Amino acid sequence: MSIYLLQVINGIGIGMLYFLLAVGLSIVFGLLRFVNFAHGAFYLLGAYFCYQMTRWGLSFWLALAVVPLVVGALGWLTEKLVLRHVYAKPHEFHILVTVGLALAIQELVILQWGPLGDSVAVPDLLQGVVMWGSFVYPKYRLFVIGFTAVLAVGLWWVLEGTRLGSAVRAGSESTEMVSLLGINVFRIFSLVFALGAATAAIAGVLAAPIRGAEPFMGIEALGVAFVVVVVGGMGSFGGALVGGLLIGIVQSVMSTVWPEGARLMIYIAMAAVLLLRPHGLLGRKG
Amino acid sequence: MQRRHLLQLSALGALPASLGLARSAWAQSTGAIQFGCPVPMSGAFAANGKFADLGMKLAIEQYGKALGRPLAYTVLDTEGKPATAVRKVQEASEQQGTRFFAGGILSSESLAMGKEAEKIGGVFITTAGADEITGKDCNSATFRWSVPTFGAIEQTVRPLADLLPKAKRWYTITPQYVFGDGLLSAAKKVFKDKGLEHVGNSYHSLSEKEFSGYLTNAMAAKPDVLLLLNFGSQSSDALRQAVSFGMHKNMTILIAWASGLEQFESLGADLCDGIYFGAQYWHTVNAPLNLELVKRSQEKFKSNPNYSLAGSYICTKLLIDGIIKAGTVDPKAVVAAMEGMKYAGLTGEEEIRKGDHQVLKSYYLLKGKPKAKMANKDDYVDVVSSGKSFLPVDQTGCKLG
Repeated sequence: MSIYLLQVINGIGIGMLYFLLAVGLSIVFGLLRFVNFAHGAFYLLGAYFCYQMTRWGLSFWLALAVVPLVVGALGWLTEKLVLRHVYAKPHEFHILVTVGLALAIQELVILQWGPLGDSVAVPDLLQGVVMWGSFVYPKYRLFVIGFTAVLAVGLWWVLEGTRLGSAVRAGSESTEMVSLLGINVFRIFSLVFALGAATAAIAGVLAAPIRGAEPFMGIEALGVAFVVVVVGGMGSFGGALVGGLLIGIVQSVMSTVWPEGARLMIYIAMAAVLLLRPHGLLGRKG
Repeated sequence: MQRRHLLQLSALGALPASLGLARSAWAQSTGAIQFGCPVPMSGAFAANGKFADLGMKLAIEQYGKALGRPLAYTVLDTEGKPATAVRKVQEASEQQGTRFFAGGILSSESLAMGKEAEKIGGVFITTAGADEITGKDCNSATFRWSVPTFGAIEQTVRPLADLLPKAKRWYTITPQYVFGDGLLSAAKKVFKDKGLEHVGNSYHSLSEKEFSGYLTNAMAAKPDVLLLLNFGSQSSDALRQAVSFGMHKNMTILIAWASGLEQFESLGADLCDGIYFGAQYWHTVNAPLNLELVKRSQEKFKSNPNYSLAGSYICTKLLIDGIIKAGTVDPKAVVAAMEGMKYAGLTGEEEIRKGDHQVLKSYYLLKGKPKAKMANKDDYVDVVSSGKSFLPVDQTGCKLG
């Protein structure tokens, strides 16, 4: 199998994780018109809560089920107690509050778990690799692709096929109009913010056996999530998926074509999209 | 107390550091001799910086005074960036009159700080690896305790090649900056000497976290040995991902410059099992000063010292010993006192070479052992071999005035 084909397949694996990282950020922005710089911190918490649970001897699968709920609840509380009070204020306040929150969470993680990174073992069921000819791929990464794909379908159904999704989509067009229809928009805001935090936490749990858990992983993840959201289009679910896959594939293929520039290329790809389609590949104008 | 738990306390100090403030520790004493500890306290290499802080603290506490004056130090958060590092050294020099600096984790920041130390008339000692620090970019104010990239490769790739005579095909993954390039060029020289085939190299950026693309390149080249030339969390990430691809079963993996105990703790015994590591320091080395440091670290922190802590400790100790030997805090006299100094070091007999300010000390090749064979919680590796390899001064490119 050609090395480039191998890299495309590997890039899909990376891209699905990037999608999961970015989708919450994108949905929150779409509805709340609010850039959440604390998004990476929820990813960080996801990884560390997973680490802690496995350290207690609990199963990875339990962590995958429980951690998103816990982090989602923390997101819910954060929205209700902190963010709700700054929605009406200028964007500078949003940045200050969410950056402050991200730094506080990061330092709390260091206080609790120390500045060294930690490893999370791949669950026994997914140890090892699969081989197709010359292509070798970890079973765990294949699971991440499949699980994220199922999750993406589920999220799409929630957004497109449920009353909650209709309210979210309508809210992203005009919160005033939704409010006039008698829908409690603040409850929708809380739910969406909690959903965003939970998806970031799922990404953190899934990333932990691949990259470990370390206190500065949230900042790195936030950078990638922004790139994906800008490429795909702010507020677009499909954009997060397309953007994540595109960035993952670009990064992986460039690891062969121009290895030293592989990381740089994801930013060049973002700049190119910004120049050609300022609203992102699937973003809306206005 | 576990090592990470004591760091939870030290991490409190990282909060002001992360907000761009220098943290003064023991820095308020009147008439004190001021030391600077310029290390990353935030960013990807913050863990190394936080241990370095503890190492300097241990040395300063041990001596307490020199020449009848109290000793004090300030941690300067370099963020791992050369420009920030230089600015912090300048500020410490102007605001506190600091002339003695021990720090620098990354080669790029250490090279920049060494130049700045010379400019301000100070003394700087580092553990960073690039050959240039005591090579073509050496200067009269800069010293280096750790073995440079040349020696690190000579003491890992060469003995491993001897151990594995059938392993002829080597693939390298290299961070693209001065440190990585130094390791790579030294490795290529050994490959040529030993008749080994260098089947490929993947460069990566200093901010890279995702190594699966580079590992896919490596697997396609079908090497016998995967040689990782990156450092810190990047080498941990690369190893973690290589093991997940099952590469440890098909080839030998060597991390030429590991950070020792802190890295093994972070990886865990299962990931270390069967992997070869190069290391500047290992706490079981039977040298009097090392036994003393282990005892002090056990008493103070209830844990064994790791490389970052030990490196910072010995660098600070060398500066203090230089001041005591010189009988003055005049940096030029301290430099002269340190030049040619022979002493019982952490790795046995060590010497500061006058011609390039390089400390001549041992480097270690370690091999991760199975969890079941660990005698205690820190017994991650066996020492396979050790030795000293340094270019002669006239081949380093260093010309001290």
